[in-house]
Formats: sequence, C-alpha cells, structure tokens
Amino acid sequence: MPFETKLALFAAVVLLSVFAGFIWKTRTGRANLVKSGELVDLSKLEATKNGAKVSKYGRKVTFVQFSTEVCSQCRQTARLLGEVEARHKDVLHVEVDVTNRLDLAAHFKVLQTPTTLVLDSTGRVKSRIGGAPKPNVIAHELEKLEVI
Amino acid sequence: MSSTANGTTPAGIDPRGPRFGAGVTNVLSVVIFFLALDSDRINQSAAYLLLVLAAVLFAVGAFFGTGAHPYSWLYKKLVRPRLGAPKELEDPRPPQFAQAVGLFVASVGIVLQAVGVQYGVAIAAAALFAASTLQAYFAYCLGCQIYLALKRAGIIRAS
Repeated sequence: MPFETKLALFAAVVLLSVFAGFIWKTRTGRANLVKSGELVDLSKLEATKNGAKVSKYGRKVTFVQFSTEVCSQCRQTARLLGEVEARHKDVLHVEVDVTNRLDLAAHFKVLQTPTTLVLDSTGRVKSRIGGAPKPNVIAHELEKLEVI
Repeated sequence: MSSTANGTTPAGIDPRGPRFGAGVTNVLSVVIFFLALDSDRINQSAAYLLLVLAAVLFAVGAFFGTGAHPYSWLYKKLVRPRLGAPKELEDPRPPQFAQAVGLFVASVGIVLQAVGVQYGVAIAAAALFAASTLQAYFAYCLGCQIYLALKRAGIIRAS
C-alpha cells in the first residue's frame, strides 16, 4: 500500500474520531422536550433516595435519574442533582438502578446512563437529559417549572 | 444487589488515570496501524505482536482492575505528582469494563488476521484509536457507555 494511501486512511480515522467526539460534546447533557407527557409511577420504578424507596413526587420538580452499576458519570450526576435538591425545597432527586431492570430500560428507551427524566409536580415527564446534565440545563428546567 | 443508588459502590479512583492510559493506547494504536499497513512482512509481524501486547494489557485491566494496570502505575509515578488533586473521584468499575471491551476488540483483530483477513490488525487498531481518542481527549468512555446497550441486546448477562 503506498504511503499516501496509508496517510489518507489514517486521516479519515482521525477525522471520524474527532467528529464523533465533538458531536458527543455538543449533544450530551442537554435537555430534550418530551411530548408524550407520560405519567411516571415512582413506586413502580422502585425509585430510591439514599437507598430508601420513594413514591411521592417533589413539590414542583422530580429528577428521575436512571443509573447502572457500570456508569462513569452517574456519581457526579447524582451529586449535582443532590445539590440542586438541597438548595430548593420543591425539588426531589431519585435514582433508579436499571442494571437488573432491563424492562424499565426498554420501556423508557434508556440506552445510556445516566439518563434523567424531569417530571412536573403531577409526575408527568417534561423533558429528558441524556448523559451528565450541564449545570445551565438544570437551571433552565427549574425556571420552566417555576422553581426559580 | 449492589447498586449505584444505595452507596455500596467501591472506593473512587482518579478519573485522569484511565484517561492517561487511553492516551498511551492512542499512541500505540497509531504505531500498530501504520506497521500493519506496511508492505514489509517484518513490520506486519511487529504490528501483530504489538496488538497481542495491547490485548494482554487490556486483559490485566479487565481481570485485575485498572489499579493493577501498568499504565496506572506509570500515571501514579510520573503524571499524578505533577497534577493537583482530582476534582472528583470516579467509580473504578466502568473503566474496568472498558478494558474488557478493549480486550474484545484487540482479540477480534488478532483472530481475523490469524484466519487470513488481510487488514484484521489494522481494523482493530483503527477501532482502538477511535475509542481511545474519545476517552483521552473528550473524556468520553465509549467502552463504559455501551454497557447498558450490550446488556439490553443480551450480549452480556446479569451481574
């Protein structure tokens, strides 16, 4: 194989990798509107907060974070949303471990963890965040649901 | 059932360690890629052996944890002392899983080449380059991220 061909192949691999990296960087952690407005039953999800089961929604907002045992950004996401919860009394953050609940992962079409659903006061899904949420994204969600 | 939600997770590691390791893998995969595409038989053999070496290193990380990995030792000795404390610690299980994914990719390349696929090693090197680029420069662990997708597809079983 001539050297130029090898270089061109390598350049293609580099471009694809870097392109994929930038695509991921721009898309991850953003909130997407959910039109279905599905009602989420926290007790059916076996949602937990610090290991204890939770069934009641937050007064204005509930963040439902889907996690797995193998998840590089679930910890930092839980910490970020936990801090938001601590600052605003109308906010609840719960976690759902889908490692062994693939039925839930399939139902909510969760392909990556963390995936976070933003519920309103009545438990209906308003938006969905794939990956570790960017802080300004969380602030915007709180504004939309009139927490701040 | 151990869970990310109930606080039974293992002690955290410095997330820059796996990223440093991915950087080394990144460079290694470039070397393998060019050697594999060389017309010289000796260079092709060298590429094959380097991919076997990469597979062995992945196996160490996959079976004994990233803490046992030689790159982790390099990081602690050479890089970590020059950096400040990490902002946040990371769960050690995702990078360990990613090592297993790396082992799988390297093994596929080795087997393809062994059964006569001309560019088996080069294809594996390109895949490893892409994944290690995302991990090292974008802090995106592709190997970790596909865990749930693989589980849902039934490719890996319940833990």
